[in-house]
Amino acid sequence: MRFEPALLRFGRWAAILVVLLLVLIGALVAFGLPVGESLRLLGEGAAADKFGVARTLMKSTPLLLTGLGVAIAWRAGMYNIGGEGQYVVGGLLGAACASFLAAAPAAPLGTAGILMACIAGGAIWAWLPAWLYVRRGVDVVISTILLNFVAIQLLGYAVSGPLRGAHEQVPLTEALPQAIMLHHFDPQTDLHMGAILALVTALLAWVLLFRTKLGYEIRISGASPGVARAYRIDGNRARVLAMLLSGALCGLAGGVEYVGSAGQLGIGFSQQWGFLGIPVALLGALNPIGCVPSALFFGALFAGSENLGRFTSAGDTLVYVIEALVVVGVVALQIAAQRRTATS
Amino acid sequence: MSSQGKLEVRDISKSFGSLKALDDVSADFSPGQIHAVLGENGAGKSTLMNVLAGFLTPDRGMATLDGSQIPLGHPQDCRRLGIEMIHQHFTLVPAFSVEENLALAGLGDSSGLLDRAALAEPSVLAAKRLNWNLDLKARAGSLPVGAQQRIEILKALGGRAKVLIFDEPTAVLSPDEVEDLFRVLRELKAEGLTVILIAHKLAEVMAIADAVTVLRGGRFVASAQIGEVDAQKLADWMVGEMPERAAAPVAETLEGGLEVTDLWVKGSRGEQAIRGISFQIHRGEILGFGGVDGNGQLELAEALAGVRPAERRGWFLFDGRPDPAPVGYIPQDRQTDGLALGMSILDNLLVTGHRKPTLNAGPFLRMAAAVEWARELIAKFEVKAQGPLVPAGALSGGNQQKLVVSRAFDEDPDLLVAVNPTRGLDIRANRFVHEKLLEAKRHGAAVALISTDLDELFAVSDRVVFLSRGELSASQSSLGLLGSESVPTQEEGAGEA
Repeated sequence: MRFEPALLRFGRWAAILVVLLLVLIGALVAFGLPVGESLRLLGEGAAADKFGVARTLMKSTPLLLTGLGVAIAWRAGMYNIGGEGQYVVGGLLGAACASFLAAAPAAPLGTAGILMACIAGGAIWAWLPAWLYVRRGVDVVISTILLNFVAIQLLGYAVSGPLRGAHEQVPLTEALPQAIMLHHFDPQTDLHMGAILALVTALLAWVLLFRTKLGYEIRISGASPGVARAYRIDGNRARVLAMLLSGALCGLAGGVEYVGSAGQLGIGFSQQWGFLGIPVALLGALNPIGCVPSALFFGALFAGSENLGRFTSAGDTLVYVIEALVVVGVVALQIAAQRRTATS
Repeated sequence: MSSQGKLEVRDISKSFGSLKALDDVSADFSPGQIHAVLGENGAGKSTLMNVLAGFLTPDRGMATLDGSQIPLGHPQDCRRLGIEMIHQHFTLVPAFSVEENLALAGLGDSSGLLDRAALAEPSVLAAKRLNWNLDLKARAGSLPVGAQQRIEILKALGGRAKVLIFDEPTAVLSPDEVEDLFRVLRELKAEGLTVILIAHKLAEVMAIADAVTVLRGGRFVASAQIGEVDAQKLADWMVGEMPERAAAPVAETLEGGLEVTDLWVKGSRGEQAIRGISFQIHRGEILGFGGVDGNGQLELAEALAGVRPAERRGWFLFDGRPDPAPVGYIPQDRQTDGLALGMSILDNLLVTGHRKPTLNAGPFLRMAAAVEWARELIAKFEVKAQGPLVPAGALSGGNQQKLVVSRAFDEDPDLLVAVNPTRGLDIRANRFVHEKLLEAKRHGAAVALISTDLDELFAVSDRVVFLSRGELSASQSSLGLLGSESVPTQEEGAGEA
């Protein structure tokens, strides 16, 4: 199926919010939790104090970046499900770069260098399925899904082999020196510069999609390959570039996690942020600006559910359930809207 | 098999929106005969057959089979009554075996358990009766096209077929396979079936049919036994009288224009679609390209518009220079090639506009200027829309086409390529498009109008040439329809299984 971004306009945000709340309440009921109390705990965890707000923003950061990556690729009709792999390979290339730089880690340059390596890593991991699609017609959904597994195995190999830190008891890379890490606004919280970076990236992504020739070519190539061809727009070029950008953003998400909060890579570096970017992008109507509230919503859910998990049996699971319901909901909305346009 | 199968069609009408596809059509089809339904593209033959097979519900009219009324609009019931349709695009599952495909046809009547052999048996018996070799284990997709078609026929014969409708069955076949098919059709006729053949190739009809019914523009023109008519008569019935010219061609054509020499273009399946044609279109001239669809029209248009590569270089001179002049293009299918229906009017106009120097600055688009430009185009071309941000899909067909046309005219193109620019439009939109073509010509553009509509061609063109199997001919009588010595064929297809 083709996802029509135009079918999800901002005018529907109100309806979407109500539906989201209902989905949330429904999920709480299904989990057997007291609804009122749970909502209070969620709210407190997400926004009651500076710690909650910081947790929300911190969780939203990788979500926003991978969500932007998904949005750009999907606009081009390239259904990139490989955000996770691109995120992981981005982190890996960043860690490899860090181990090279270890001798002379000049702070701002070192950080920038690592982030650039992360961006390159993600882009490379997205270029492969794009190339396979353009050259051989290999289905992007399949190839990107499968490359996720390759990336995760690669991660396991790298952190227990070539990139393993000399003094680590468990498979982990060398911890980055504090000077290299992204700036933390408040030593008491985990919130770091990456949040601002993601927000600026969202603006840039919006400008790219809606205010540049390349962005236009990406959108028209996805919306109607026939029209693009008839008017001599190189659809394959647009699709490959969209995938490169998409992978770059997912790689950047990995980089921001790495130099923002993790500081070192282990098997646990893969935390599904790449997959979770899909519901973020869908709820954001494949619009970079729309991805911002969408990422904040899911980030808040993550932060809130940590708090909820402290007092009840539920935890992150709740968020995954809600994410899944959102994907189903958006797809259902699409189909309903398509039916309506088909019958009118 | 019974010798029943007398099919009577009475006063069937069917409209799609403002387009009257069938207008009070009546015809009789007798058992033991091959009855061709002949007409140009858009004449309504396929619509009529889809009505008879139950796939479309007519607005008015009825049909009876051996006196009992056909439940039009209910394909399963029509099948049960004995009306089977062999579609032009086969409905076989390529990955399934022949037996599985045959079983599929009977699946609707069976219970939950799958007994492939039992389900396929009626079709297998039919094959035995006709002495056809059948490899039940072969994968359907691996068979040559002609063999696949025979499996389609067997699927139909496995039911209670009394009437077999073939939708342009020769279109996908090689010459040898056409011969085989004709033999098969004669066998089916000998079985006492009513065989209906949708066709637009005269030579085929003359070669195989016993009776013929001609449709034109959704209306019944004539029915006859094949002995009573000749090819010329049928051609006249199909295309009607040569229309009078609306206006005399301009005597003085301007200097310069398009000069095409020895153009060769390949089609999407690698076939030679355009075979070394040469022509000129002067500035201030509309050259009409007529002919039956599928004779290279699409490939010619795409080559002229720069969408499809021409095989030989140096074929294209405009005003004596080899660089392509600004080309305005009106593609054939506005729903797939003309417009992205889910995108806004503005985004659709930008497909050409984003390259305009006034609308971009380096890699960036100047959106304010673009919106203003879109508003002007909408107003100038009388597109009825709320504004430039409305999705193109929300517009009516006529307004959608105006949008496509406005885009083609925006930059005062030196060369305008229009393919069936008025297909499916009502009279007012039709006239609007024709006026715009004439306006382009007055402004000194060279216009290539590629159309299957003779009325349109003669109404606006200064000269008309015809495309037949990728070559040009000057007159309609050499359309390639009338060659009685050979059945018109397509070279490709034989190896395409």
